[in-house]
Amino acid sequence: MDLDLNAPHSMGTTIIGVTYDGGVILGADSRTSTGMYVANRASDKITQLTDNVYICRSGSAADSQVVSDYVRYFLHQHTIQLGQPSTVKVAANLVRLLSYSNKNMLQMGVIIGGWDKYEGGQIYSVPLGGTILKQPFAIGGSGSSYLYGFFDQAWKEGMSKDEAEKLVVKAVSLAIARDGASGGVVRTVIINADGVTKNFYSGDSLPLWHEELEPHNSLLDILASSSPEPMST
Amino acid sequence: MEALAMKDSAVSHNGTERTLYPYVTGTSVIGMKYKDGVIMAADTGGSYGSTLRYKSLERIKSIGKHSLLGASGEISDFQEILRYLDELILYDNMWDDGNSLGPKEVHNYLTRVMYNRRNKFNPLWNSLVLGGVKNGQKYLGMVSMIGTHFEDNHVATGFGNHLARPILRAEWREDLSFEEAVKLMEKCLLVLLYRDRSAINKFQIAKITDEGVTISQPYALKTHWGFSAFQNPSKGAEGSWFINRIMQTGTRMLVEMAYW
Repeated sequence: MDLDLNAPHSMGTTIIGVTYDGGVILGADSRTSTGMYVANRASDKITQLTDNVYICRSGSAADSQVVSDYVRYFLHQHTIQLGQPSTVKVAANLVRLLSYSNKNMLQMGVIIGGWDKYEGGQIYSVPLGGTILKQPFAIGGSGSSYLYGFFDQAWKEGMSKDEAEKLVVKAVSLAIARDGASGGVVRTVIINADGVTKNFYSGDSLPLWHEELEPHNSLLDILASSSPEPMST
Repeated sequence: MEALAMKDSAVSHNGTERTLYPYVTGTSVIGMKYKDGVIMAADTGGSYGSTLRYKSLERIKSIGKHSLLGASGEISDFQEILRYLDELILYDNMWDDGNSLGPKEVHNYLTRVMYNRRNKFNPLWNSLVLGGVKNGQKYLGMVSMIGTHFEDNHVATGFGNHLARPILRAEWREDLSFEEAVKLMEKCLLVLLYRDRSAINKFQIAKITDEGVTISQPYALKTHWGFSAFQNPSKGAEGSWFINRIMQTGTRMLVEMAYW
């Protein structure tokens, strides 16, 4: 009440991580913006840390990339020393360590998701400040503001892989519809005991929401079709 | 993702750093002594500015065998404090001398940590409530982010100071039973739920006695909205800006004022 909470600072992105019965689904949009300009319309915000752990990045592209690089490097060494795949918990805690100790300089909010043989599929959230939270599902980025209500209603424990992926794609798609800083395609990464599957859902394959129209090649096609809408004068 | 320019750089000219503001915060914690020990309560919410972002955060943890720590403020700093305390307790156990750190010692340690950070202009952005029992002696104290510390029969952080402590000053007694203490605590929690924007209806109450620590599973309280004045606030003067019928116990006082 007496503090100037400069907190939720717009972070251009929508990122989601969801656990399901058997693993995790990570999802993200693909828009990288520099102010009002879309610098990259097909970026991949879901980055690999190890064979079994991936990270969804939001906030400053530079900060999240460099932290991911450091964590990947540390985890590589850790895996060699351990003699087996690193656990998701260790990966998440390494991210937390770097985020927390550099909290004054970094601006990034991430979601870490993966599968290991001890705890199965897990999702960890590391928002601004370096808090670490294990959650059954997590949302982040500027687009996530539009999804709190959606998940409150649509999330269920123990979904199947297909249900969970459909939920993630629907959610990212809804966020893209309303968040200017989110857009492009929906990328998903599914991580479970069998390995990693990456999927790609382009704009035209996503459902249309309120006030969105069917895309056409040209007006000419519409005019040429059997019962065109009359052009008004 | 934008490459954002840091608006208020937290790195000053000489290269040192200072924490400027919290991001994920917990709201009030309330603690009170009762007949057999100490009870402490907090909701399980983590706010992110005005958004109630996290709803299952545990803000009360047990420390060693004799203490409970509740925290409000920045959660990442609370998690770091728990790591410091883990190490403290570990070293204490490694002595293997039959001694164990009591709540008074833990409180003192936390005070030193908080005050030293404050002196470096890089505070841990928390208000901490430390309660415990050792050898039958009850202890309850508080430390703020600037190192102010004190003990009392009942303490609260944040909004709790303004809303809960007056209730406790009026109704707290040394010989409260567990049941009475819980009821009193819930009275405070309900007021905070009504009047603190960052409070959520999901609480944990923890108790500590000579026997040990119990932290309850999260639970919710019933809220009361059935007052007639709530049903129809404009009754008697449609278009007025306030409830214009004020009922006093016993006497009836009618204040007729119509504002447009």
